[in-house]
Amino acid sequence: MIETKVERKLTEVKSPVNIKMKHSIKVWTTLTLFSLIAIVMMFPLFWMFSSSLKERSQIFLNPPMWIPETLQWANFTELFTNRFFDKVLLNSFFVSGVYTIGGVFFCALAGFAFAKYNFKFKNILFLIVLSSMMIPHEATMIPLFEVYRSLGLIDNLWGVILPGLANAFGIFFMRQYCSSIPQDLLESARIDGCSEFRLFYKVILPNLKPALGTLGIIFFVNQWNNFLWPMIILRSPENQTIAVAVRALQSGVRTPYELIMAGSVISILPLLFIIFFFQKWLIAGLLEGSIKG
Amino acid sequence: MFNYWRLQYKAAPYLYIAPFFILFAVFMLYPFVYSIYLSFVEWNGGGEKIFIGLDNYTRLFSDKVFWQSLWNGVIIFFLYVPLMLVMSLFLAILLNKEWMKAKGIFRTAFFTPNIMAVVAISFVFVILLNTQDGFFNAILLNLGLIKEPIGWLDTPFWARVSVALMVLYRWVGYNMILILAGLQNIPKELYDAAKVDGANSFQSLWYITLPLLKKIMAFCTILSTVGTYSLFTEPFILTGGGPLNSTITPVLLIYRESFQNLNFGYASSIAVMFFVLMMIFTLLQLSVFKEKE
Repeated sequence: MIETKVERKLTEVKSPVNIKMKHSIKVWTTLTLFSLIAIVMMFPLFWMFSSSLKERSQIFLNPPMWIPETLQWANFTELFTNRFFDKVLLNSFFVSGVYTIGGVFFCALAGFAFAKYNFKFKNILFLIVLSSMMIPHEATMIPLFEVYRSLGLIDNLWGVILPGLANAFGIFFMRQYCSSIPQDLLESARIDGCSEFRLFYKVILPNLKPALGTLGIIFFVNQWNNFLWPMIILRSPENQTIAVAVRALQSGVRTPYELIMAGSVISILPLLFIIFFFQKWLIAGLLEGSIKG
Repeated sequence: MFNYWRLQYKAAPYLYIAPFFILFAVFMLYPFVYSIYLSFVEWNGGGEKIFIGLDNYTRLFSDKVFWQSLWNGVIIFFLYVPLMLVMSLFLAILLNKEWMKAKGIFRTAFFTPNIMAVVAISFVFVILLNTQDGFFNAILLNLGLIKEPIGWLDTPFWARVSVALMVLYRWVGYNMILILAGLQNIPKELYDAAKVDGANSFQSLWYITLPLLKKIMAFCTILSTVGTYSLFTEPFILTGGGPLNSTITPVLLIYRESFQNLNFGYASSIAVMFFVLMMIFTLLQLSVFKEKE
């Protein structure tokens, strides 16, 4: 063992230049390879942007047209003037925004209750929360549609928001986070005459800020990309969310791919914004979600 | 006064968890139970529900399309999961190296496709994979790699490859991040000790890194299994489940039988089977998770 150590030391001493060169070759091949992969990963997004500014006849060409000579901004104006995309975009922000705020709030409430109170049936109730994760939404769609008919939620944005608000993962996540809040903090607030809800609102919520942000970002992204259920219930064009509206463009004899691409670009802009500014929270949340959820 | 404080303290946790349980009952539990009932009836969504016992299930088990949807899951799984895991592992290991540069940029680039709207990404792939002068075929033809354009979305084999390719594109970065988190949990001392003992970098990869990543790799595999069987948007937009049902998935089949063919009873039996399948996967996931603790 000692011998090998000495040998290693010797070779290092013998040819430091060689090793340094080997190292830089390794670094540069990896960097080149990674850059190539990154370009491949980004390429579909580039193609989306490029195609959104093409005429219909320029989308399928051999050789392909990388960047259109004249930029067809008309594709975007068409969406906003004739296809309700102003309304659609607003709908998406409404649905994702309300879902995020409402979902995070409910999850924090329930997570706090499960972490910091002792009450009858607590364990069994928490078990119910956890087992609700086992019911996939896709398995309940058919009767849910019936429920929606009787509640008048068809073609209604609230119909997209409500089912997801019962979110077991979020409660689990918040419970984990709440259990790290020291009990003294609660007791001293109570001694000061703080009511329970005030305690939650004024003491707990501010302490949960990072968790609220992480969960909120995940909720927003998920709801923004939500597709199947909104497609089923949102019928009229002016009531649709953006994912549904983009897909609804695919109709008629010739598919207007240039409009679909323009719509797609609009639909990913907020997500790109999130990637750039909230990536850390997003990744933290994804790790929590997959490993602990 | 004393009573009021006591009461609100006692009531608080129940009030906090109430929103979840109300939403859960209305939007999940009731529809779920109801869908079990529906799986025993014949119903077109409007008229009367006729009780037909187990007929839906006998039909289901002799329905070639149902078995096809399960089989497709297996094929698509093997088309992308092994490749994806190897790629994710490779990217994660290199991103975890101390000498690696621009880590943040690469991580972002690889991870971005995962949170981009599925509908938008699917449509870009529709354009890229178009048989007549889509980008892929144009490039392959020009490079002389193929003589005839490939029917990416028009032939059963290539349609499955295309769906697998897109799922790979969306999820490789996500799995990379999970594995990266796993790598960062491996104590550095292990590698230092191995180095002192004269292990080369391949040996420390084989004897230290990989064994310690076993659990997380198992976890990624199960997540991918659940993900593959829950696929909807990708095949729905790329191929509509075709050609010849080669890319139909259980969820796509539920959607087709219910909201397109109006066989709500029959579709419910598929939904129930889908639930059973997902439950098995979830229990598997939980057992892996428990071992990890």
